[in-house]
Amino acid sequence: MEIIKAMLLPASIMFGIALVFGILLVILSQVFSIEKDIKTEEIEKLLAGSNCGGCGKAGCSAFAGALIKGEANISECNSTPKANKEKIALLLGNGGNIGEDTVAVVHCNGGNFAKEKYEYQGYGDCKSAEIIAGGIKVCPTGCIGLNSCNKICPNYAIDVNMEGFAQVKKELCTSCGACIINCPKSLISRIPRNAPIYIACSNNCKGKDVREMCTHGCIACGLCERVCPEKAITLVNNLPVVDYSKCKGCFLCVEKCPTKVIKKH
Amino acid sequence: MSIVLIIFTALIADNIVLSQFQGICPFLGVSKKGSTATGMGFAVIFVMAISSVFTYMVYYYVLVPLELEYLKTMAFILIIASLVQIIEMVIKKYSPTLYTALGVYLPLITTNCAVLGTANTAIDVGYGLLNSFALSVATGTGFLIAIFILSGIREKIEKTDVPKCFKGFPITLIAASIMALAFAGFSGLFA
Repeated sequence: MEIIKAMLLPASIMFGIALVFGILLVILSQVFSIEKDIKTEEIEKLLAGSNCGGCGKAGCSAFAGALIKGEANISECNSTPKANKEKIALLLGNGGNIGEDTVAVVHCNGGNFAKEKYEYQGYGDCKSAEIIAGGIKVCPTGCIGLNSCNKICPNYAIDVNMEGFAQVKKELCTSCGACIINCPKSLISRIPRNAPIYIACSNNCKGKDVREMCTHGCIACGLCERVCPEKAITLVNNLPVVDYSKCKGCFLCVEKCPTKVIKKH
Repeated sequence: MSIVLIIFTALIADNIVLSQFQGICPFLGVSKKGSTATGMGFAVIFVMAISSVFTYMVYYYVLVPLELEYLKTMAFILIIASLVQIIEMVIKKYSPTLYTALGVYLPLITTNCAVLGTANTAIDVGYGLLNSFALSVATGTGFLIAIFILSGIREKIEKTDVPKCFKGFPITLIAASIMALAFAGFSGLFA
């Protein structure tokens, strides 16, 4: 009995004091709440919350603050799903450009088929290899395949596949842009999430030269440009460029490409 | 002890930072600019004043009658933490600039040994309510004086050519210790 009194009493006293102050805090937090603050919290909840820094701000709370002040646009965040972006645009009351739903894609499929200048047996990854004579591959824009992108991706969405080049898993990609900044060859860019095709080569050299560097490179034959019924592909600087607003996903270019550079997304 | 003596001792002779070496964290952390330093000092005075009243009342009207004096530390920390939360809300609403300037150091007042130390001192020496209140206000003001002087010194140091290995905290600590030496001259003044 004495023991219970010795333990129960102090416990309940502490609980009582805590309860009193807890209630006081709740009441005062309502009294002192700031109108702007509620909005910021709501916007923060709708944002992706990954703190990836793709928008250039120091995390999602900072981005929410900048949105409220009007210093940032919601289209700068690529990680937030489109539905949430629309809700945020409503909250902010400015409509505005929500930006497209995009994913990252690697514009190279050379990998093991691209000839190498040397074998890299050193420390580090693609960035280190790039310092030595511009990377392992003879092709100046060939994926080095040492996983710089994989190391920086917060969602484990990109890694080097069995064929030796990096590839993005579009279900996992949130388009935060970390890999885009980190690739020393600048091979990664954003395309719409529902894009039917993408171009898996970045080499601007003439067909004959490309052939000597890599059997999977674009030889700029122009077949894709001629066969496209929507005129969605144009050849610029020895590489096909896709206009995604026109592309209907008929995949004729994918069939016709002799080096299989145009891939289904 | 007369109340005037308590006040002057806490202000100068027994300065919380420079003689008792408590509350050094915000002392070093927020003293880069004069304006933030004074803001911090006033926040500390406010916390100390209110927490002294609350802790006194909880100690003498709840803990002592129930013979639970050993819960003093826990109860005091609880009270001080809640009070700092409230002050954070007030500052956030009425002065957002001060709020961002103080940053993380405002919640650090919670774990600041100066506040808990003053509450404990008031209880240990056995002061009444008015004396405890006077002690904590004076202690807070002593903190304000110390941090304000240090911020002035630091602003001047910014413009001088400090050797590379001393830049930042090392030179600040040296300045603070020289200040403590100077204030040590006051010890025994009001004995």
